[in-house]
Amino acid sequence: MFFHIVLERNMQLHPRHFGRDLRDKLVSKLMKDVEGTCSGRHGFVVAITGIESVGKGLIRDGTGFVTFPVKYLCVVFRPFKGEILEAVVTMVNKMGFFAEAGPVQIFVSNHLIPDDMEFQSGDVPNYTTSDGSVKIQKDSEVRLKIIGTRVDATEIFCIGTIKDDFLGVISDPGSTS
Amino acid sequence: MQFSNARPHFRLEFRLIRCSQKEMAEKGGKGFSLPKGSLKGKDDNSAKSKQGRKVQIDFEDPLEPNSPKTNGKVNTPISKGDSGKGGKASKAASGGKNSVTKAPSPEFKIEEELPKNVKCLMDCEAAEILQGIQDRMVVISADPSIKIPIPQLSSFVSSSFDSGLTYAKRGGTFSNPQSVRKILEPLIKYGVSEGEMCMVANLKVESDDEVFALVPSLKSEEGKLRDPLKTALNELAKIQSSV
Repeated sequence: MFFHIVLERNMQLHPRHFGRDLRDKLVSKLMKDVEGTCSGRHGFVVAITGIESVGKGLIRDGTGFVTFPVKYLCVVFRPFKGEILEAVVTMVNKMGFFAEAGPVQIFVSNHLIPDDMEFQSGDVPNYTTSDGSVKIQKDSEVRLKIIGTRVDATEIFCIGTIKDDFLGVISDPGSTS
Repeated sequence: MQFSNARPHFRLEFRLIRCSQKEMAEKGGKGFSLPKGSLKGKDDNSAKSKQGRKVQIDFEDPLEPNSPKTNGKVNTPISKGDSGKGGKASKAASGGKNSVTKAPSPEFKIEEELPKNVKCLMDCEAAEILQGIQDRMVVISADPSIKIPIPQLSSFVSSSFDSGLTYAKRGGTFSNPQSVRKILEPLIKYGVSEGEMCMVANLKVESDDEVFALVPSLKSEEGKLRDPLKTALNELAKIQSSV
């Protein structure tokens, strides 16, 4: 799910950047350092939408660097346990399938796929019901529920299920929804 | 993988093998299988996955003492037409044959984990914001008189931005996020949290039964919430059909 959040970061700036454009340089460095990163607490920083405040700089002892506390507004994407979301399947194998929802990867184990769906190997590996009416393959859109999240230093990885009610395939690849 | 039968506490262990998507697809087509023994859980000495990293994910249902005996399958009318067909996110109940052994699903609680000043965004709101940023950067980058430092173009370089924008815009969004929020905000006084409200908007649910099945935490307020929810969903359907 997306959130709009105020975060704070201490930015260090080299003295060569001091001058008329100091604020612009600070904002540029912030965008370069923060956009696209991921933290366990806030999730993926998708985009910075504004700067709320730039505090007074503090000169670090022994170096000429100055540290500025910067508060900024940003859009983040963070998955939660219990969240239902729609994802696109990126890979299918006999252990289950991988799907992506925005910048987050989700794995759905074959144990969490309905029992009447079986893995079919071949050129386009997929999970299919016994009557062939429902198929999960690459680029299928599925609605799944996140049941576990694993937070690393720089990424969040999720486990999902489609074994509950109202979960499963939404559309097949190439079909108009 | 190990499953404990005593309680719905289970641990998944598997190896993350870093290879390109292309490699994975090729392997998947040929009946991809993990190296032998990698799922037995205790083979730390296995040298088969050179770049692999063992990931353990523990999850327990926080509502375990209160979980229903039917294991999370709440209010599920079984349609006569669909005899338990799995996999399709249809209006009828899905699910396989052995629903009895299903563990209760975790509930969606975000308020405890996020600070107070956080605003939940619906996908349509996020799409509007991100599209605005992209449009501004396109206009600025097209103007030769404006020099843009390379880091400010990082939004376009960052895959998080691209994938976030694509995800937010998927399947057609509501064209007017403000009216969607106005329609759903009255539900807050019936006990619906902001996160649950945004999730309902994102999923484009069709019926109140679907909402109660997907968001079990709302079941406790079902009595007073059902009618306002139906009204809100009808209004959302009108907005969508008018697009």
